[in-house]
Amino acid sequence: MKARLVFRRAQTPVAPAPRLVYLWDLDKTYLKSDFDSLRELVKIPFEKAEDKIAAPGVTALIRGLRNFATRNRREVRVYFISASPPQIARAITEKLALDGVVYDGIVFKDQLQRLMHGKFRHLREQVGFKLTELLKSRRQEPPAAREYLFGDDWESDPLIYSLYADAVAGRVAPDELADVLRALRVDPPLIDEACALVKEVDHADAVARIFINLERRTPPANFHSFGFRLVPTFNYLQTAACLYEEGVLDQGGVAEVARSLLEDSAYSADRLANSLADVERRGHLSHSAALLLGESLRVRQLLPDEGLPRRMRWRAWWQCLRARLRAPQPPAVAAAPASINYRAMVAGELPAESHSAG
Amino acid sequence: MPTIAVDAMGGDFAPEAAVEGVASVSLNTDIQCILVGNERRIQKILESVPYNPENINIVHASDVIGMAEDPHEALRRRRDASLLVACRLVEQGRAAAAISAGNTGAAVLACARHFPMIPGIRKAALASVYPRQIEYPGQDYLALVLDVGATVRCDASELVQFALMGSAYARRVSKVAAPRVGLLNMGREETKGGTVLAEAHRRLRTLSGINFVGNVEGHELATGRADVIVCEGLLGNVVLKLLEGLAEVVVDLTAAAGQRSWRWRAGLALLSSDVGRLRELTNYASYGGAPILGFEHVFIKAHGRSTGQAIANAIKVAAKAARDRVPEEIRAAIAELR
Repeated sequence: MKARLVFRRAQTPVAPAPRLVYLWDLDKTYLKSDFDSLRELVKIPFEKAEDKIAAPGVTALIRGLRNFATRNRREVRVYFISASPPQIARAITEKLALDGVVYDGIVFKDQLQRLMHGKFRHLREQVGFKLTELLKSRRQEPPAAREYLFGDDWESDPLIYSLYADAVAGRVAPDELADVLRALRVDPPLIDEACALVKEVDHADAVARIFINLERRTPPANFHSFGFRLVPTFNYLQTAACLYEEGVLDQGGVAEVARSLLEDSAYSADRLANSLADVERRGHLSHSAALLLGESLRVRQLLPDEGLPRRMRWRAWWQCLRARLRAPQPPAVAAAPASINYRAMVAGELPAESHSAG
Repeated sequence: MPTIAVDAMGGDFAPEAAVEGVASVSLNTDIQCILVGNERRIQKILESVPYNPENINIVHASDVIGMAEDPHEALRRRRDASLLVACRLVEQGRAAAAISAGNTGAAVLACARHFPMIPGIRKAALASVYPRQIEYPGQDYLALVLDVGATVRCDASELVQFALMGSAYARRVSKVAAPRVGLLNMGREETKGGTVLAEAHRRLRTLSGINFVGNVEGHELATGRADVIVCEGLLGNVVLKLLEGLAEVVVDLTAAAGQRSWRWRAGLALLSSDVGRLRELTNYASYGGAPILGFEHVFIKAHGRSTGQAIANAIKVAAKAARDRVPEEIRAAIAELR
C-alpha cells in the first residue's frame, strides 16, 4: 500500500457573507400608482391586480438581486412596506405573484384602526409609521445584515430612510430622534415606540444605500444634504448600475433590467446610454464600472454602438481592460454622510426634499 | 425624434439658459439633446433643475467663443469651442441639427466650415421670424425675413435664391402651402431700388413655383401681405433690430405711463390681458430662433439674450426643421431653378 502524503491547507474559519435585505416602498417605487387627484386615490382600493402597473424595470431588478444572492449562496430577504391600507393587500399580493416577485414580508398601514380611534390626522402620517415598522423589522435581522432601501420622491422616504439608517448606526440618539419626530408632528405614542426600538436594536452601519426613485423628476441637488449614501435615480437601470457597483448584482442582472426597459416600456438604446452617463456624471457610478457595464450592454446589443473610429476603439478597449483589472469591489463600509443635522433639516434650515409628515 | 446639438456656452445667459431650455425640452418632448460645453458646469446646473436624463447627453468642449469676438479669429484660435464641437456632431451624423445663442458671425462661419453647401447655393442666409398682422384665416402670425446678417450686399441671383430658400422653409415649418414672397424695397413699382432690386424683381416675377407678390415697402412689413420678405443682409439686419427696438420701446412706454398717473394705471389694469398678449407677441423668446439657410444641415440661431424658454423653443424649431427635411426641400427648389 502506497502511503500518500496529503497536504492540507490550514483552514481559517470564513465568516459567512452577511444577509442582504432589500426593502421596497410600494406606491410610486414598485408600482406606478397614480393618486395625484382625489378621484385616482379613491379608485386605488377597487383596482384589481391586473390593473396595477409595476414601474419599468423594477421586477427584473428584484428578480436579478435575489438570483445573484442565491447563486452566491448569500441569504437574502425582500420586504415591502406600504402606507396603503391592508384592504388592498389581496390585489397587491396577487400583483406580486403575477410579476413573479418572491418576497419575504409585506406591511400595510392599518388606516381603519386609526380611523376608529379618531386619529384622522394620522391617516396621512407616514414618518412615524414607516420608521417604527423599519425598526421592528431590523430587530428580526442578524446585526451584520446589509440593507438596501428603495423609496420615491413623493413624500418623506429620503428623510425616513436616512433617519432610520443613522438611528440604527447609533449616529442619531433617541432624544434627537424624539425631537425630530416631534417637529414633524408624529403621533406621540409612535415617538415613544420608535425611541424604545432604537434602544433595542444592535447598532451597526447596516444601511448600505438608499435609492430614491425620482418619479416626480425632483432635481437631484435637492437631496445633497442627505449625503452620498442616498442615491436619487431616474429609472431602474441607474439603480441596477449602482447595485452592480455595490457588488450585489452582476452584469447579466443589469442587462435584464435594460432588456425589460427596451422590450416592455418602449425605451430606446440611446435613452439607456444617456441614463448610464447621467448616473456616472453625478458620481454614483465609477468610470471603470460604467465602462465595464457599457461594454457588456453593447455586446448584448442593449446600448447603441458608439461607431468610434479605429483609433478611438483601441483607446476604449484599453480603458475597458484597465477597468476590468480594477473591477469594482463592494465597499467595506456604507458610504454614510459625515453627519446629517436632522434638527436643522426639519426646522427648514437645510434644503431637504419633502420632509413633511404628510 | 431627431437629436439636437445645443451650444450650451453661447449667449448672454450661458450656460444656465441653454441647460434650463434643454431640461425643459427633456421633460416635455421625446427630442434627444446633446449639451455641448463645460461638462462640469453643465452638470451642476442640470442637477439643480427638473430634467429627464434619458433625453440628454453631454459632450465636453473646453473653449467658448465670446459674443464680441472677431468670428474669423475666434474660429481659428478656438478649435475646441462649444459652437464648433456642436457643428462637428452634426457633421459626424451624431446630431440632426445644431442650435446656438452665441456669436452670430461665428455661427455662420462654423456652418460654412462644417456643413456642405446645398449645390447651386451661392451664399447662405440668416433668416428671422417676427410677428405681424394676419390678412386671412389660417395665415401664420409670424413672417420670415431673410437675409438678416449672413451677407452684407447681394446680387439679383442671390436674392432669388433667398426667396426660394425662405419659401421652402415656410412651406415645411409654417405649413403654408404657397407662402407669399415679397421683395423689400422703397416702392411698389418694379423699377424702384436700383438695378439689383429691379433685376431681382424681374426674375422673381417670372419664376414658377414661387408665389411672388411684388415689392413690399417698410410699412407693409407689419401687415400680412407677404409671408417671406427677401432683402440683403445689411438692410435685413437694420429692419430686424428696428422691430426689436420698437417692441421694447412700446413695452417701456406702457410701463412708464403706468407709473406716471393712477388713471393710466387703472386703464392698463383693465387692459392687462391685452398688454400681456402684446408682450407675448413681441417676445422673441416665444419664436425660438431663426435658421441659417443654404446648408445641407439645419442650424438654428437663437437670440443672444435667449432665456431657457427661448432655447427650448429653438430646440423645437430645430427638431421640426430636421424632421421635415428643410434642406432637402431647398435643394429641390434650387435644382428646379437650375
